[in-house]
Amino acid sequence: MDQNKELTERRTIVPYCSIVEDEGLVTVKIEMPGVSKDALEVKVEGNELAVFGERRAENPVGTYLVRERRAASFRKTFTIDDTIARDKIDASLVDGILTLKLHVTEAAKPRRIEIG
Amino acid sequence: MDLMKWTNPAPRDLWEAFDGLRGDMDRALDFFHGPEAAGIFDQTTAPAIDVIETADEYIVVADLPGVDKRDLNVTVTGSILAIQGDKREEHKTEKRKVFRKETWVGSFKRTIDLPEQIDSSKISAELKDGVLAIRIGKREEAKTKLINVQAN
Repeated sequence: MDQNKELTERRTIVPYCSIVEDEGLVTVKIEMPGVSKDALEVKVEGNELAVFGERRAENPVGTYLVRERRAASFRKTFTIDDTIARDKIDASLVDGILTLKLHVTEAAKPRRIEIG
Repeated sequence: MDLMKWTNPAPRDLWEAFDGLRGDMDRALDFFHGPEAAGIFDQTTAPAIDVIETADEYIVVADLPGVDKRDLNVTVTGSILAIQGDKREEHKTEKRKVFRKETWVGSFKRTIDLPEQIDSSKISAELKDGVLAIRIGKREEAKTKLINVQAN
């Protein structure tokens, strides 16, 4: 609970994401530009998969002539159910996109029953 | 202020009403989907940028998550800086099921008219963690100089 409180206290926005399932593999892609690997937190707690990416202020002293980028850290939580194998979650961060690969448990996959 | 004749906005037929509604919906969805269109006739999208001026350079920062260095093209013509490229995504089998799609894929272009005093020979660009940072030096005469005040 303390962890959650700590997360909400920081200024955050919800990043854009896409979720695609392909033959038992659920791929979640989250756009987190400006988040480096060491500023990223991916956690599974019960039925909650939480992603937090801290965006550190990288800008030197100066005046902004144009400011359109959202200056905040990213936070996104997903609810996952028992069909997702908890011990097989892969995460990789490339070019500002976090890719999570979730595997559907064998028991939850559709089974084809042969007719004898 | 001109006085305008009031016209009944009620559409002439039902289909026209739906057309109007669809246009409204499209605009509302565009608004939520991040990058804005670069122009009325330009179908490509434009990434969000920051332009920062410091004492001796301009820094242009653009969010380009998922863009490979090879698909990115940064050019300077006179004082016009152009950032363009393609954001790609691999597609696997036909059997895939899409649950959510908030991210976009396609080409993008953004042009920025920089002040005249840039030195086009002093430009560097770096792409890190999906953020592009372009540093453009100012000409010597345009740099901010500190003048020491002499006290007699």
